[in-house]
Order: sequence, then structure tokens, then C-alpha cells
Amino acid sequence: MCAATATTPSSTLAAKMTSLPRVVLCDPVVHKNDCQALFEGIAEVLLLDHTANRDDFIRALQPGGQLEGAVGLFERNQSIGRIGRFDKELISKLPLTIKWIAHMGAGYDKVDVFACKERGIGVSNTPGAVDDATATTTLYLLISALRSFSAAERSLRAGNWKKSHSAVNAHDLTGRTVAILGLGGIGLRFAQLVHAFPMRVLYHNRRKVAGAPEWCEYYDKDHLDDMLAQADVLSIHVPFTEETRNIVDERMIRKLKKGAVIINTARGQVVDEEAMMQALKDGHLSAVGLDVFYNEPNIDPRWYDVPNAVLLPHVGTATADTAKQMELRALANLRDFVLTGKGTDLVPELQ
Amino acid sequence: MDSPDRADFLAGLKPGGKYEGVVGLYRHNVSTDRIGLFDKEIIDALAAAGVKWIAHNGAGYDQIDVLYCKEKDIWVSNTPGAVDDATATTGFYLMISALRCFSRAERTLRAGGWKSTHKPGEAHDLTGRTLAVLGLGGIGLRLAELAHAFPMRIVYHNRRPNPDAPAWCEYFGADRLDEMLAQADVLSVHVPLKDSTVGMVDETMIRKLKRGAVIVNTARGKVIDEPAMIRALEDGHLGAVGLDVFPDEPQVNPRLLDFPNATLLPHMGTETCDSQKKMEIRALSNLRDFLTKGKGFDIIPEFK
Repeated sequence: MCAATATTPSSTLAAKMTSLPRVVLCDPVVHKNDCQALFEGIAEVLLLDHTANRDDFIRALQPGGQLEGAVGLFERNQSIGRIGRFDKELISKLPLTIKWIAHMGAGYDKVDVFACKERGIGVSNTPGAVDDATATTTLYLLISALRSFSAAERSLRAGNWKKSHSAVNAHDLTGRTVAILGLGGIGLRFAQLVHAFPMRVLYHNRRKVAGAPEWCEYYDKDHLDDMLAQADVLSIHVPFTEETRNIVDERMIRKLKKGAVIINTARGQVVDEEAMMQALKDGHLSAVGLDVFYNEPNIDPRWYDVPNAVLLPHVGTATADTAKQMELRALANLRDFVLTGKGTDLVPELQ
Repeated sequence: MDSPDRADFLAGLKPGGKYEGVVGLYRHNVSTDRIGLFDKEIIDALAAAGVKWIAHNGAGYDQIDVLYCKEKDIWVSNTPGAVDDATATTGFYLMISALRCFSRAERTLRAGGWKSTHKPGEAHDLTGRTLAVLGLGGIGLRLAELAHAFPMRIVYHNRRPNPDAPAWCEYFGADRLDEMLAQADVLSVHVPLKDSTVGMVDETMIRKLKRGAVIVNTARGKVIDEPAMIRALEDGHLGAVGLDVFPDEPQVNPRLLDFPNATLLPHMGTETCDSQKKMEIRALSNLRDFLTKGKGFDIIPEFK
């Protein structure tokens, strides 16, 4: 039963009488009927009031609060805007009844999973569901960057047709080399799409990926520089963790060949944004395609003046189909937790 | 050819002129800016000068009156194949942009609005959707290959089935064109511009598409009835368009700039250094083969 608002006293009573476990949606779901069907007879679904801030949220979860007794939460990056990150502080204030956080999205860097581990709280994300849409976004950014399409469209819209465009600086994809940093679900899907041209695909991963096609050429840590030197394009597909913060740094950028392109659909914090911008200015990088930035949504305004940058506002998974799949996946994890004690997509750190 | 204008060019072709004795030309559309289209006047002058071959750089040769060339015994070659990859990639980009509303997303970001205009409900994945190719020649087939990687379902209309088309390209003849249009999420235009294709994508064809469909055009602007397309954008029958070509380039109908769901490129289809080189070499090879063998490889269909 998906309540439209935080519970009224009579439904709280009803919940106590039915003694179904309670779960909380920190943000409304779009697919209400699917949500209802998923939890019918399994859990009582409560919606956090849309005006609630961090303190309201914590209060509501406590005994006597409207959400008391809740065992699991559904949250998405949007919730963060109102109640803030699920950091150590927030996690420490969650009641002991909370044993699961079902995150909607593949990247869960806004949830402190180690703090959750200490509290015995499981965390799930939604891998797989994001792969196609994000890889497509990566492909779009790649084509745009290599072909200078972003600047070309801006030129047309400014009434200048293609006056300052030169084909000299624009390239076909076919036969060029892309290096993928992190061959997970998204990286692999992206590899499939570019292989259709074909582009040559190199990748670096902590470990070689067992199921990867033979045309994905593996480069381990000792050979990373070798990979970078051959790349026309570096595409970033690693999650943001303390290990990957600024992993694409000045050194790595400069190991790329002159004129290389960087595409980032992962997280802004994985790249040294300043170093990347400088490399564009001095021509070491010929172009970048970015869906993510260091400080979204307040991105560095200098990006607007970089002529060979194509910029998207973190819309990697923002399609009707994918948003639905992500939402249902997160809800399914929450439901599986209620039924079995754990969700399928428990994050790697907690496995 | 260094003529700054048509008059100088025509004068150069006359006996005693600087182009006297010329037998073959390499031609690129940029020459239009100076000497205009290859119409009857120019072709008459070329014929009188003894020109026998025009090696055109480009797949589309609508700027040459080829039927008149045929009458005057001047042969014409173009550069098919060389344009396929870059043009298909452009069509591919426009299709992704249109379905994903990326053009508007970038414009909103650059205007300081982050993603305030982006509604995931309006944006769609490509996988599993249907691409209808109007004209499965070299470019259309290349686009089909790229789209099939998702996979998208590929349907096409051609005057005749393409024998080189893979099995997963489903053919729809003239009698089933409406059936094809009704199933298309995206209609991509890949027919050359000639008298028979002017305004081919008209009000009727556009309205046979399902509501919310997308049109992509990397062929020639005049193949689409622009007012009909604009009406369909206005009333939402078309969900989005991705256009690389326009009826009167470099002019762009300012009305198109009003639609948030339009991705517009200034005829960038083959604008890469790799493809420009391929095309140039192809055209020059045709010219060379005319000189050494009597004819170039890529004689245009009108002459066959």
C-alpha cells in the first residue's frame, strides 16, 4: 500500500494491527502501481513528507514518529537534496530497526557504506539497469567530441552556420582506439557499441574481466601507461570511492597522446577537473565529453567557455525506460530484504 | 581553377582562355560560392571547351544538372562509399540526440539551468526501438549496422530490395510503405535529391508515422516538406527531429530554432579530416582513371 503522504494515525494503527514490516520511500516513486503490487501483503510502504529536511526525517523514524519501526529505506540521489548525504552522522542517527538502504542508481558514493557496515545495515544499488542508457550517453559524448558537433550546433544557432569549423580537427570513430577505465557493466556495454564501428577497445580494470570478449584488450596496472599512450579516447567507468578519487590525474592525462579525448559519465570526483581543463587549454587534450562534474549542479562556470567541450547535466540514465527499471530494481531489493533478509544487489563492499 | 566568379570561369573556358584544352574537372560543392551551380550555362561552356569528365567530390550531386551533362556527352562520377561512415555516424548522433533530448539538455546546462528542462519521461532508450531507413544505399546500410548494435529493429524502404542488406533489414516495398511508417519510432532519410524525391517526405508520409516519432535527415533538406515537418512539430505529432541538412543552406528556417526538441547541425555529415581525404582521393582517382582508362569507376547511375 503506497500512502500518498506520511501516515495518519488510523493507518498507523492499521499497520500495527496487520504487523506488516514498514519501509520508507525517501522520495516518491513514479511507478506507484508497480510499487503497490510489489509490496502488497509484504510490507507497509510509507512516503517521507516532501517538505521534510534531515532533522524531520530522523525524528519521523524515531519511536513516536510517523515512520517509527521502519526496517528499510528506498532512496535516490534526489533525496540527498533535501535530507543530505547518507553520511556517518545521518547513519548514526537512524534507529536500530533500519537494516536496509535500497539505493536507486548504480553509483552510491553518497551513501557511507562503511558506516552502514558498522551498524549492520545492508545497502543495495541497481547495477545492470543503468548500463544501456549510460553507455549510450557515453557514445553520444564520444561522437560529439570527436566530430565537434556541440560547437557546430551552437554555431548554427548563433546564426553562423559552420563558419569557424574546420574538418581538420574532426575525426571518424572507425579504426580509432578507445581505452576504457573500468570494464564493469557500463564499460562493457559501451565497448559493444563502439566495437560496431569498429573501434579498437583497450581496458584497464583491477582484474581481467572473465567474460569480456577477446577483442577487449586487457592492460593491467603495470601496463597502464602503455594503454594510455595508444588511446585516442579515454572513457571513464569506475565508481567513485576513496581509491578512485582523482584517479584520472595530471600524470594520467599527460600519458595520453596529444590530441586525445576524455569522456566521463562516471563521477566528477574521479577526475582532476582542473588538470583536465588545463590540458584542454594547452591543447594536450583535443576535446572532452562530460555528463558529470566535480560539484553538480554548481559546475565550474569556466566550462561554458571551453570551445571543445560537450556538456550534459548528469542525464546518463534519464530515460523513461531506464528510470523505471532502476526504480523497480531498487524496490525489488527492498522487498527481497523484507522477505529474505537481503537484497540481490548488495554492494560489493558489504559482500 | 582560380576564378572568383562565374563570368571569369566562363571566359576562361573560351578559346584562348586560361582553361583552354581542359578535358576533365574535379568539382567540390564549395565552388558554388564563386561560380554557382553546374547548370545549363556552365555545362554548355564546358562542352564547348571539350570537357568530357566531371569528377564530383561528394555522394550527392544535385548541384550538377546531370541529365543535361548526359545530353552534352559529359560524364559525371561521384564518391559513394567514401561518405558512408561519416554521414551514417552523423545520422546516428542525431538519432541518439533526438531520442534522448540531449541538445536541449546541453543548452539548458549552458544557460545555467542544469537539467531543469529535462523530463526523463520524454527521453527514450534506443534498444528495442524501430528505425525505418528511407533509402538503403551505402549510407543507410551503414547507419543500420550501427543501430543494429543496440539492437534496434531495422526496417527499410527502397525502390527495390537491397541485395547486400543483411537478413535483419526488413524490406517494405511501395505497397507496404504505410505499414512501415506506422511501426517506425525513427524515420531516417537517405535518398538522393532529384526531381522525383523533392518533397518526398510530405504531410501524408509524416502523418503516417506514429505520434511521437522522430525524423532524422542527413540527405538533402529539400527531400522533406519543411512546412509539413514544422506543423507536425508544433502539434506534437513528431516527438523530435535531428537535421543536418536544410532546404536553403546556409539559411536555416528560424522557426526550427524554437523547438526545444530539435537537434540541428550545419551540414556536418562528412566533415572529418579522414573522410574529406577519402572523398578527395576517390574523386581524383575517378578523374585519373578517366585519363588513363577512358572512364572513372564511380559513374553515376543516370549514365548507366
